[in-house]
Amino acid sequence: MNLFQILEKSAALFPTNRAVIYYDDSITYQKLYQNVITLSDYLISLNLPNNSRIGLFLENSIDYVTAYFAVTKAGCTVVPLDTSLHPEKLLTILKDSEIHLLFAHFKFQRIFKKLYEMQHGLSHIISEKDFKLKSESITYYDLQQILNSPTQTTLPKVTNPIHWDDANNAPHELAAMFYTSGSTGEAKGVMLSHKNLLSNTIGTIEYLKLTEIDSIMVILPFYYIYGNSLMLTHIATGGTLVIDNRFMYAETILDTMEKEKVTGLSGVPSNFLILLNKSTFTERKFPHLRYMTQAGGAMAPDIIKRVVDAFPEKELYIMYGQTEASPRITWLPPEKVLTKIGSIGIEVNGLEVKLLDENGSEVSENQVGEIVVGGDSVMLGYWNQPDEEKEVLKNGKLFTGDLAKRDDDGYLYIVGRKKEIIKSGGNRISVKEVEETLLSNSKIHEVAVFGVDDDIFGEAVKAVIVLRDGEEADEKEIQKYVRTLLPEFKVPRYVQFIENLPKSQAGKVDKKALR
Amino acid sequence: MDKDTLKKEIREFIVDTFLFGEGADSFTDSDSFMQTGIVDSTGILEVTGFIEEKFDFAIENEEMTPVNLDSVDNLVAFISKKVNG
Repeated sequence: MNLFQILEKSAALFPTNRAVIYYDDSITYQKLYQNVITLSDYLISLNLPNNSRIGLFLENSIDYVTAYFAVTKAGCTVVPLDTSLHPEKLLTILKDSEIHLLFAHFKFQRIFKKLYEMQHGLSHIISEKDFKLKSESITYYDLQQILNSPTQTTLPKVTNPIHWDDANNAPHELAAMFYTSGSTGEAKGVMLSHKNLLSNTIGTIEYLKLTEIDSIMVILPFYYIYGNSLMLTHIATGGTLVIDNRFMYAETILDTMEKEKVTGLSGVPSNFLILLNKSTFTERKFPHLRYMTQAGGAMAPDIIKRVVDAFPEKELYIMYGQTEASPRITWLPPEKVLTKIGSIGIEVNGLEVKLLDENGSEVSENQVGEIVVGGDSVMLGYWNQPDEEKEVLKNGKLFTGDLAKRDDDGYLYIVGRKKEIIKSGGNRISVKEVEETLLSNSKIHEVAVFGVDDDIFGEAVKAVIVLRDGEEADEKEIQKYVRTLLPEFKVPRYVQFIENLPKSQAGKVDKKALR
Repeated sequence: MDKDTLKKEIREFIVDTFLFGEGADSFTDSDSFMQTGIVDSTGILEVTGFIEEKFDFAIENEEMTPVNLDSVDNLVAFISKKVNG
């Protein structure tokens, strides 16, 4: 079974179920299946080279889900792209992955103005509305027009819902590529196979007990691997994705949850913090809500307790994962959330987690070791980055860079990270990238960037800066400068100016002292 | 502050913060920030921070809605109501 076939199976088993609800619009599995086949046939007719990478520069929508499955049906690799990327960063990824065909929403056309001035390599753009800004070297297609000439389809006969055999028989060939920030600051394309994604999808469905009656409030972008997991798990079970991209207006999301009677809500720590601190979340009942999931960085124990206190009858799943593991690695059963508070739980079925010391030996209970993951969810590797790949992928095992210990009952607890990465609001931010960006400002002599605790984002970026002699700057000016070069979530929330950075005897900046 | 001056200040802030000084004519006063992709979910916190500081009032949780914040026109109406009572 390949990724497309999870949709095919659900379309055969639950043709009239709604696959996606998108504001006032929705689409059934049968219609989604037909649209996917139609679009896939169109992609094939374009005679793209074998295994072409096709980019999705789309916000969460019915278009996104349709394009995602059509690309996989056409035998191409889907490359979901962060829609908050600046043109320069987008260009780097387009070039690295050699994307020639891009799905892009009209609302993002502004970014293309600058992209057109560069050597972008794009030859086809498919959009839901005609772009006003065009390049002569690109052919533009209207998505709606393509879908208006549907291919005749017949649903296959299917009797069994998705099962582990489906993952075991899945091809271990490239299906999707997700770009993620590494410690070096360079975006890395994480290559995931059909088997990677399917096995992780089934493992996740199993512990969340998802079925065709489940519906999830989707507030996380699908280009983010956690969002991708929401999409795959629900499409695979015949459930419903309820999309609302207005999380900045939390009340609106809560209204949608009530209106659509969602059974699940998934978020990163900052989502829960915003809901708890800046909305009427805890004053509402949500009678249909069965569970909530949290991943994308550690959530403070106090916040976990507040969620449980507010909704004692709902299940709260704390989860841990990495893009490189497709993504789920561990989950904490809801009944253990308070007794094992702070734990990331136990392995997802189909995965094996070991804690290894620097010599590669397994550590004993309550000793700290690096989380090393084995199993079908472990990525194929990094696209075009063999050196980085060798650092994290050894004998098919994923070295996560996260340090943890395991208690007497087998529950894992993260205690630190080997690499300099800040996890803020579910985003991974390379310390090096922010430092290098700041150093490109001629007023700045030296800089140290690190993560600090933040009520909203879990961690926030802080920059401690030494200015060049005679230069003056304030926090706002520095933030404004970074904002022109990096996405908003990478802009230092806190900026401090000092005379000298504290350093070790070896001359290395002592960030511990700065914290 | 009259409505035209208010509108001008808000536009300047949006263009300066999210469009890096370019494309001032790329959106109208009634365009939805979300639908045009000008302001994302992190950006809206910048907008509310700017308003709270500039006009010296707090935005309540229940006021965080598209009707109040999702376009220049909506912002002007919301701020005018808050400031003038």
